[in-house]
Amino acid sequence: MTDQVSFPDAVQWAVPFFIAAILAEFLWIAFKGKGGRYETRDAVTSLVMGAGNIASGLVLGFIAYGFFMWLWQITPLNLGTSIPVILLCFVLDDLRYYWVHRFGHRIRWVWASHVNHHSSQHYNLTTALRQTWTYTFTFMMVVRAPLILLGFHPAMVLFCGGLNLIYQFWIHTEAIGKMPRWFEAVMNTPSHHRAHHGRNARYLDCNYAGVFIIWDKLFGTFVPEQEDDRVDFGLVHNIGTFNPLRVAFHEWVGIWRDVTQPGLTLRERLAYCFAPPGYSHDGSRESSEQIKARHLARHPEDRGTPGFEQFETKAPNTQAKQA
Amino acid sequence: MPLEILLVLVIGGVVGITVMLHLSGRSRVRELTPQTARSEWLRHAPDDVIIDITIAHDKRSALIRTETGNGLLWSFGADTVARHLLDFDWIDHPEGFEIVFHDFGTPKALIRLDDFERPHWQNLMDPA
Repeated sequence: MTDQVSFPDAVQWAVPFFIAAILAEFLWIAFKGKGGRYETRDAVTSLVMGAGNIASGLVLGFIAYGFFMWLWQITPLNLGTSIPVILLCFVLDDLRYYWVHRFGHRIRWVWASHVNHHSSQHYNLTTALRQTWTYTFTFMMVVRAPLILLGFHPAMVLFCGGLNLIYQFWIHTEAIGKMPRWFEAVMNTPSHHRAHHGRNARYLDCNYAGVFIIWDKLFGTFVPEQEDDRVDFGLVHNIGTFNPLRVAFHEWVGIWRDVTQPGLTLRERLAYCFAPPGYSHDGSRESSEQIKARHLARHPEDRGTPGFEQFETKAPNTQAKQA
Repeated sequence: MPLEILLVLVIGGVVGITVMLHLSGRSRVRELTPQTARSEWLRHAPDDVIIDITIAHDKRSALIRTETGNGLLWSFGADTVARHLLDFDWIDHPEGFEIVFHDFGTPKALIRLDDFERPHWQNLMDPA
């Protein structure tokens, strides 16, 4: 296969738009007196994380690209670069994003990279730029392998991934309430993504979509934002630092400290790396399922409502035991 | 995009937005009241039953005594961070106490206390 295909780095070209949109959102909030909050150090941390993300892409991007080009060399398929193929690539790459994002919340090794994006207690356009510096080390580039083996050129796949990230920028806002009903039904929106950023028990592990919310509806992870359960942004255990280095690496350090504890079995050490966040060998921490169960013990009226459907059919004594 | 233009955009954007936010008053640190300290603590630890709340004179730290032990709530920009006081070091500081958590993501919190508050907090945190 030849590699004489070139696509622009869409994210880099979008930087001026990002800056202009942040200014516009800030002015909107300032003049309207509603629609979100800005705080200097929080926003600066997010922006520095975004700059670091671009820098890490420049420094480490060759690893993923080299892997993709190797796959491109071995695949006998080439779908070309026509507009329908680009559109199909965009949709399939969004499905890829859904699963990588879901892994990012359910596998601690991947969460260690993704957690920084959720580490702000604010939700504004700067939060969208609070991106990982350590994505390469999650090895989630392998999830893109099927696309390239199917004949989508690596440059086109990366271009579609860039467009996906640019789409997700504008949904990080409280300034937009709900979009038209048809749009909310198909597309990821500010409302859907606000729920994803919630630390409320209801909103844990939901709405992993990038562009199309249909993936969450298809795979059973969709939770609509509830008017009577205002989203509380941030982490279950919010961090107490604005230092970008600590933001970027705190979960990796946490994994290291957990794994190197004396007296653990190999299985327990592996679980600290790859089990869902909240795993502990001694039961001293809570998974999202346990947090939801504990919430229902306090608020049984929420049983069976969005975000708590999995508890709908369980017998009361089982629920009590979980709580 | 040429790297030098990208650098100018990124650095200029970060500096410009920082200055705009600071000059428009977005650097103010949250002040705690008994009511907000209570609601913020329960936001972080919804199962806790609060016994009493002691707020430092600068309104940026609160010692929360609960039925399951003590906790510290402190202002973090416009928001708050809370931790149960389980695994920490307590270091004297010219302005009060420094609480060092053994947590890379939440390294420490400075509690500013005057001479009247210091023994009171000391007694609350370590009655023995």
